[in-house]
This record gives sequence, C-alpha cells and structure tokens, in this order.
Amino acid sequence: MEMTAILLLVCFFTLLLINVPISISIALSTLLALVLHMDFTPAATTIAQQMIGGIDSFALLAIPFFILSGLIMGQGGIARRLIESAMAMVGFLPGGLALVNVMSCMMFGAISGSAVAATSAIGSFMVPEMKKHGYSENFAAAVTASAATTGMLIPPSNILIIYAIASGGVSIAALFVAGYLPGILLGLTLMLVCAIYSLKNNYPVAARLPLALVLEKVIAAIPSLLLIIIVIGGIIGGVFTATEAGAVAVLYALVLAVFVYKELSLDELPKLLLKACETTAIVMLIIAASSAMSWVLSYSHIPQMVSQFFLTLSDNPLLILLLINLILILVGAFIDMTPAVLIFTPIFLPVAAQFGMSPVQFGVMIVLNLSIGLVSPPVGSVLFVSCAVAKTSLHKIIKPMLPLYCVMFMVLMLVTYLPAISEFLPRLLGLID
Amino acid sequence: MKEFNAKINQLIEWVLIVAMFAIVAVVSWQVFSRFILRSPNSYTEELARFLLMWIGVLGASYAYRTRAHLGLDLFYQKMIPTIRRKCSFLIEFSVLITALSLLVYGGGMLMNLSFALDQRSAALGINMGFIYVALPISGVLITLNCIENIIYFFKQTQEQE
Repeated sequence: MEMTAILLLVCFFTLLLINVPISISIALSTLLALVLHMDFTPAATTIAQQMIGGIDSFALLAIPFFILSGLIMGQGGIARRLIESAMAMVGFLPGGLALVNVMSCMMFGAISGSAVAATSAIGSFMVPEMKKHGYSENFAAAVTASAATTGMLIPPSNILIIYAIASGGVSIAALFVAGYLPGILLGLTLMLVCAIYSLKNNYPVAARLPLALVLEKVIAAIPSLLLIIIVIGGIIGGVFTATEAGAVAVLYALVLAVFVYKELSLDELPKLLLKACETTAIVMLIIAASSAMSWVLSYSHIPQMVSQFFLTLSDNPLLILLLINLILILVGAFIDMTPAVLIFTPIFLPVAAQFGMSPVQFGVMIVLNLSIGLVSPPVGSVLFVSCAVAKTSLHKIIKPMLPLYCVMFMVLMLVTYLPAISEFLPRLLGLID
Repeated sequence: MKEFNAKINQLIEWVLIVAMFAIVAVVSWQVFSRFILRSPNSYTEELARFLLMWIGVLGASYAYRTRAHLGLDLFYQKMIPTIRRKCSFLIEFSVLITALSLLVYGGGMLMNLSFALDQRSAALGINMGFIYVALPISGVLITLNCIENIIYFFKQTQEQE
C-alpha cells in the first residue's frame, strides 16, 4: 500500500518537474502504480475505462458550455459593458480603477464559469487602462489575478460542478448558492485592500460622473446581467439543470453579441467553437486522468489510511481543519485546481465530515483554498495569464500580491470556521437542511 | 509525415467544431422540447454525453498538437539548453508511452470488449465500442505527432553538434 503511494507520488512529481503535461503525468504514474498490483493488460484496460468513465457525465457537460459562453462574452462586447457599468458605479472612489477591476471580475464571474476567462476578458481591458492612469502594471496584474478568483466561488462555477461530482453527489444548486456570500466577501475585502494600497501610492481618483450617465451605463449592462437571473434563477428554481442552463447561456450570449450588440460576426464562430473545444479537451483529459488516479488511490485504500492518520493526530477540529488547509495550499501551489479537487476531495472530505463540516461548506473551502494556488507560483495558471496580459514577469508581481494573499487567507479562515457564511443562503432557500 | 499530420489535424479541427456546435444544439433542443413541445425525450442527454466524450478524447490530440496542455514549465525554462533538449525527448517519450499503452492499447482493448460483449447504450442502443473508438484514434494521432516531434528534435540536436 505504502509502496503504491510512494511510487505514485515520486513518479508524478518527477514527470511534472520536467514539464510533462499534467494530465499525462497523472495518467502515466497511475498506470505504473497499478502495474504493481496486476498485469499490464488488465491495468491498461482498467485505467482506460476509468478515464473514459470519468468524463461520461451529463453534469460535466456544463463545463464546455460555460467555457464557450465566456469566450463569446469576452469577444462580443459583454465584458466591456460590465466594465463600463462598474466604472460608473465605483470609479470615483479611492483606487477607483482597481475597484472597477475587482468589481468587473466579480460580475464577469457571475455570468461565466472560469477564472482564466475572466482574467483575459477583464484584464486585457483593465490593465492597460490602469497603466494609462499611473497605476503600476504589476499592481494591476496582481489585482486582476486575485479578483478573477472570486469567479470560482460566484456561480456559475465550473470547479464547483467538478467538486459536486468528486464529492459523490452534493447538489450543484446548493453549491452554487453557497458560493455567493464567500465570493462577494472575498471581492469586497480585496476592494478594501486595493483602496488602501492606492491611497498610500497616491493613485489618481476619477471625477464622479453625473447620475444620468451612471444610470445609462448601468442600464447598458443590464441585458448582460440578465444572464444571472436566467442561469442561476433557472437552476435554483429547478427549471433546468446546470448543464441545460449552460446551453441557454451560450445561446443567450450569442444572440446578445451577434444581434443586439453586433460586436461578433457569425464567421468568427468556428474559431470560438474550436477554442472552446481545445480548453474543454484539456480540462476533460485532466478530469479523466484524475478520476483514474483517484480510483487507484481508493483501490489501494489510501484515503482510509489518511483519514485514520488524521484522526490519530488530534481530536481538536480547529487544528485538524487548519492542517487540512495548509496541506491543500501546498497542493494547490503545485497542482492545478481540477485534479486537486478530484484527487483530494475523496481523501479530505471524510476527515472534515468527522469533525462536523458539511459537504457544502467543505466544497466552498477547498475551492477558495485552491484559488490561492491559482494565483501563486509555480503553477498558478491565472497568475500566468494576468502576467501575460500585463506584459510583466512573475517575480515582479509577487510583491503587490502579498497583501492580496493575506486577504485570501483571512477569508479562507472565516469560511473554514464560520459555517454560516457558506450555509446561510442555501439553507434560506431550502436547498440544504 | 508532416503534411499528413497537418491534413489529419485539419480534419480533426472540423470534427471538433461540428461536435461542439452539435452539443449546444442537442442540449438546447432538450430544453426546447421539454418546455415548448412538452415532450421530453431520453436520447438527447445520452447523445450529448457521447459528443462530450468524443470532444474530450479527440480534442486531447488536437490540444497536444497546439501544445495547449498545462504543464509546470518553471524549471524547464531555467534549464541549460543541452539538458532542456534531453528533457524535451523525455517529455515526448512519456507522452508516447501514455498514448500507446493507455489510449491505443487500453482503449483498444476496451473497444474490443464492448464489441465482443455487444454492450449497448441505454437510450440510443449504440454499441459502446463506437464511443470508445475515439480512444485509439486519439492515441494514434498523438503518437504520430510525437514521432514527428522526436524526429524534429533529433535533427535539431544533430545540427547543433
């Protein structure tokens, strides 16, 4: 048993370190670990079966839809209208453009499912804008990256769908609703830090717009924000599943971009479809490989071993939950969010449940925790995208990231120790008891 | 070989675009038929799932060609050129072994098994082998691309020596 775990880990990290794609690293180390237990032919067949079985799910289908609708929103003028309305609402406050950045990311997160999409859609507009007005590009990139993670919690969220599958059937509707308060809390605290940072650095403050203009900008964004009501309202109201909501979001975004805003022509559609396929395939291969690895881990009873180990460590829930968080932060720094959720949910959820944490709260906690990994080196994909958008380098962005990391960690602690933040809304709506 | 790979990949691109379009259409139809026609059907959900599997598996070979798969390139970027070249070989070989053993061999076995047992899907009655066939196809495409890359690296190394 220990041999399997050790071989799996050593092989996985060696492959990862020499830049083998993460999905291949997972699949190959899983194969090697399983060959310890059985012949090559059944091992290869079993893993192939686990891989294809891992992506055979109607719930996962929501992911390509939210990826595609995110691409359409970025290209079709929807992102820009959200930014303009945020500009009208908070642009005149201290650190105005930084606040606009965070708020736009939150709104974009509320209609799309991916943080990387938010980073490129909002960042490619906001970072140059902030630079033009005297903000440093490193601060601008740091704000974009950390603000984009609010979209991981604010529904619709692809990663919460993946968690719902990994946890073995927590309701997607309950998870989506549970994400609102923590996501908004994170956004607001990030805005507070941005305002303080901007005051200290004497960044310029824009003039307050006349009320008529503010209203005009906000009204212009309403058709885009209507998606929230259609998608989230539809899911919570039980009108349709998250997957069907995703398809509706694609159609709605398409109609808005092509016929209402007229910023996307139908000729560009094949390119967007292919891009969405590419992103989907990357995620699906990672999900396939992680499902196989998760299966091999449970086949060799590793989750039970870890659970028992944690229970012998201490019977203080505060301590154990802190320890789980610290391990997950370390994991998140090296492994992308999707495989981390798929592999570590079956390992840590039973431990957290032993200490009275509900699966909904655990889902919000693990997603928020791994979001920190998304914006920290060495593998933070969101951090890389925002560096690329801002044309700056990784080591320069770390310093302005530090206060933002602190905020994320503080909110993580609140979410870990105050179940109400995650559970209040879903309980209010009767989605959990 | 290079031209052959390029041609095949162009074909795959179109297959993917059509599949993605179809998946949106199928699920939209599912919503439409339930609300407007009030006659929900059982096959749309299954069809959409199968399309997703095809996009995921075939798209993996496309994403490999466009080098879009996520990796940890922090150390790779900092390596001295000779070591980095050796690593490039190792990466291609790891991908090659995975593609051959899991997708071509494991996936192929799975496909054969489904055909032999005549394992059919619940709603559409399609033999699951036709779904699983995407695995060996994708595996062969990745293998071909891998060989092209290895030949390229090999030539590059020879030129530099």
